[in-house]
Amino acid sequence: MSNQENQNEQMLINRRDFIKYSAVGAGAVAATMALPGFMLGNAGAVDLADLPMKYKDYNVVFVSFDALQAAHVGALGYRANVTPTIDAMAKQGFNFTNNISVASWTVPASMTWFTGVYPSEHRLTNKFSVFNPPNNNVLSNLKKLSPELVTLAEVLKQNGYATGGFTGNAGVSGGFGYSQGFDEYFFEKGKFGSMGVSIPKGLEWLQKNKDKKFFMFLHGYDMHGQNVPAEGFDYRFVEKGYDKKYTGSAAEQEALREEGLEKGAVALRDSDVRFWRAIYDEKIQRTDARFKKFLEEYEKMGLMDKTIFVLTSDHGTEFHEHKRFDHGFSLYDELIHVPLIIKLPKQKAGKLIKDQVSSIDVMPTILDLIDVKLPEKVKKQLRGESLVPGLKGRDVAKDVFFETDYRQYTYKRGIQTKDGWKLIYTLENKNRELYKLNKDPGETRNLVDQEPRIAYELEQRIFAHFKSIGHDLNAKQWIPGLNPVYDSQAKGVSKK
Amino acid sequence: MTARFFESKRYHLSIAMLSVAFCLCLETNVVAADSSSLKRHENTNVILVSLQCLRPDHLGVYGYKRDTSPNIDRLSKSSVLFDNTISQANLTPVSMMSVLTSQYPRVNGMIAFDAAKDAVRSRTLPEILKYYGYTTAAVSGSPEFFMRYDTESGTEIKLGDVFSRSFDYFGRTRRGLGSSLRVAPTESLDWIQRNKDKKFFMWIASGVIHVPYAAGIPAADKTFFDSPGYTPFWNRFHSIQAEEGTPDDTTYDVLMRLYRDEYYLGFKPVHRLTPADKDYIVSRFDAAIRYTDRFIGQLVETLDRTGLSSNTVLIIHSIHGEDLGERGTYVHYDLSDSAVKSALLMRFPAGEMGGRRVPDQVQGLDIVPTVLDYLGIPPDHSLQGNSLLSLVKGEAGATGTEYAYIDRIPWWEHTLSRWYLEFKNSQVNYPESEKSAILEYGNMLRSAFPQGSYPPGDVAIRTKQWKLILRKSPRLLEKVSWYAFITGTPLPYGDVELYDIIADPLEQKNVAAQNPKVTDVLKAKLLEWDASVEKRKASYGAGEKRFIIPYP
Repeated sequence: MSNQENQNEQMLINRRDFIKYSAVGAGAVAATMALPGFMLGNAGAVDLADLPMKYKDYNVVFVSFDALQAAHVGALGYRANVTPTIDAMAKQGFNFTNNISVASWTVPASMTWFTGVYPSEHRLTNKFSVFNPPNNNVLSNLKKLSPELVTLAEVLKQNGYATGGFTGNAGVSGGFGYSQGFDEYFFEKGKFGSMGVSIPKGLEWLQKNKDKKFFMFLHGYDMHGQNVPAEGFDYRFVEKGYDKKYTGSAAEQEALREEGLEKGAVALRDSDVRFWRAIYDEKIQRTDARFKKFLEEYEKMGLMDKTIFVLTSDHGTEFHEHKRFDHGFSLYDELIHVPLIIKLPKQKAGKLIKDQVSSIDVMPTILDLIDVKLPEKVKKQLRGESLVPGLKGRDVAKDVFFETDYRQYTYKRGIQTKDGWKLIYTLENKNRELYKLNKDPGETRNLVDQEPRIAYELEQRIFAHFKSIGHDLNAKQWIPGLNPVYDSQAKGVSKK
Repeated sequence: MTARFFESKRYHLSIAMLSVAFCLCLETNVVAADSSSLKRHENTNVILVSLQCLRPDHLGVYGYKRDTSPNIDRLSKSSVLFDNTISQANLTPVSMMSVLTSQYPRVNGMIAFDAAKDAVRSRTLPEILKYYGYTTAAVSGSPEFFMRYDTESGTEIKLGDVFSRSFDYFGRTRRGLGSSLRVAPTESLDWIQRNKDKKFFMWIASGVIHVPYAAGIPAADKTFFDSPGYTPFWNRFHSIQAEEGTPDDTTYDVLMRLYRDEYYLGFKPVHRLTPADKDYIVSRFDAAIRYTDRFIGQLVETLDRTGLSSNTVLIIHSIHGEDLGERGTYVHYDLSDSAVKSALLMRFPAGEMGGRRVPDQVQGLDIVPTVLDYLGIPPDHSLQGNSLLSLVKGEAGATGTEYAYIDRIPWWEHTLSRWYLEFKNSQVNYPESEKSAILEYGNMLRSAFPQGSYPPGDVAIRTKQWKLILRKSPRLLEKVSWYAFITGTPLPYGDVELYDIIADPLEQKNVAAQNPKVTDVLKAKLLEWDASVEKRKASYGAGEKRFIIPYP
């Protein structure tokens, strides 16, 4: 192993190892030193124990850094200093170190924040609800698929909030119904758009709405494989001497993803993997810098003390950890373990919360914090639980469930227990993968044969869970098909 | 400040204690267990005895006059006896797989006699028990579970498919006195003695009661109920002899030429069955039961002697029943009650709940859920049956299965088309007048059922009073009908048959026209079930090489 490799290995501190570190990762410490003024010493800051945990009529800024793998966040143990702004907010807020997304790609995962139900229930599990080319393709849409569901933005709007969404389109495009409940919802059609575009749009909107109470959804694909910085890469983290087999383009990323799907594995050299991680780090660092600028503008508007910030990501991404590239097609930790940071108004002392939680809990948590009275319908709809007791120090650890029907390439369901067992069940071939995350955080040793009883009982839990939400996984056959996500796949395909 | 410090210390302490608590229960408590649920799986053995063609009404304990079953009758006193058990199919591998998986045939994929190695991927009882540390063993006296033919090479092969999967030991019977493999699976007794100190699951299958009835057992036992001086009627005609039997045996080839009390040769009735003829056939059937019952006696004696009776669940069931001419045919051709009604008894350790009788209708696919429930093992999500424990215990509100469902899949003729007819052509000395017609019939069947295609089958629904049979493709059935072929007379089939099984237990009179409401309700219910099964049916190992399950 070369020195460079060694170093890279060390940079990838797994979240399970994370608890070994006393406070936060080195990157986050470094970030604290470089903090912009707004984060420290805000007047009237209160101690953790004195936080009211009730924030009626406060603003909510909900940020999704699309495709941010937990392992690349300083506040979650990454050694490189690529997320100083996010880390600073984590240090002052509640940093959930074991937050697991309900899905491993944007369309299903993000809608769960806004509906509080699992992807199987909101039914945005693929780009098309009907895909019968050339003439019978119907785009998935929340209102059509699940007309009874109420969105987070709708609840807030009903409670007098101005609601604005500023996004990079694609998986959170308004066309899917993501705009439901928003007064204004920006998405640049045909793009995997950057925060470089969505932030200015958001700030414009803020200027007009800053005197009202507002809910803002801010999103960008800056870290995603299908986005490259408008100004190009400067390859700041790429090791010297890399032979430039790859350049970091979206097309390369797409080709690698498709190769992995087709062959089950991508042939990449260690140096290529390091290159792609370096590219990812550059993207993350550039995004973090954009977010920092956003916060500076935000502070200028005098809104910091009136705002709850929620920073998270819809899913991670894979860099060959399991021999493939990109995301969506499996449910490994690198794909579903994502940051979740909640910073409350005037909060100055942060706290690590190691309890395992799920993105299903995000909507109930926000609604609990802003102290709105929930209609019965919404109460019944929400599958998760408020994490506010966790903010107060109580145990909120739970077993979590996740799923993907990515492109109908596969149909996977999974459970991760709070004590570290994980079972991934593939419906089309009944394949089972059992991992003991405490001992095998990389999910490399399938223990199905060694621990058949645990695998069996977890499988029962998965099936019971989905049955309890109205989805009997045994009620149909699961046949792989074609349901494109990217335009390149949809063009020119004919029905098989 | 001090207070807060204390608070935080206590907080950390409690977290630490919680973590310790977690570690302690981590390994065994992945599924939150009901605190009252017993973990019987830690020390309870299970023996499942599956008997082919055993009609409950030919056992003393179910009211039979002839003394066929002294051992089972005695065992039933310490067992729970089920009076109305319905098999999910009329054919052995299909019905048995339904029991082992607790799934309807199309769901588990055992739908034909040309089985691919991995046609069935569903979980079976031994697979689940192995997860819980059981040693699993089987001894099969039914070739359906261990013998496979490769039609390409024309040889018998050891395939090792789902019937033997998940067994640490899988034993089989060898040829007995005659040429039949269908002899008592006594090796199982030796295995049990040798392994009595292990926690085990033993599956014992016997085909002694299968045609040719009792052919492999000692002559004195085989002829035990024979009327003195009787000569089989077929010996007066062209003698049809097959590999599995001797001239006095009730071979498949003879019994399948009986239709409505006539013996057909050369497409003509050549002999009308006399009471003595019928008695002979039934006597041989009963002799096979008597011999099987003696094996059960040995099994119970082995359990008593080894002390295993106190920690072993013993379940005896019929894989399916047998027709003895009630509706015109013999063997187990159709969905008659005589072919699908099964014996079922369960003896729990130390005779717990012994002597109870359950009159409610239950299904073969309830056996596995009951075993798991009794052992305290969470039921697999794929089970389609229900635990019978609450019924056995007589809990308030517990009922059996209001609607039992039966699948006649594959049709007998489909099985003939695959291999059997060809095989028999080379093995059986048919009369000259049949030889070329049988070749043509075989060709016709193969064109009616092209490779990889499966006939639509027939389905039935049964309540405690009614049985409704739906023929999915009556015209095709008429075209391929074996009985139409041997009688040389077209046999019309309707698409719906309704029988009042209380007033007319032998299902002689189709009363669908007189009971339109009942017919509509049951038909709708049956079609609803059929659609739900279709939706989740197994892919049946498409593209995999098929091997023939021998029959009979």
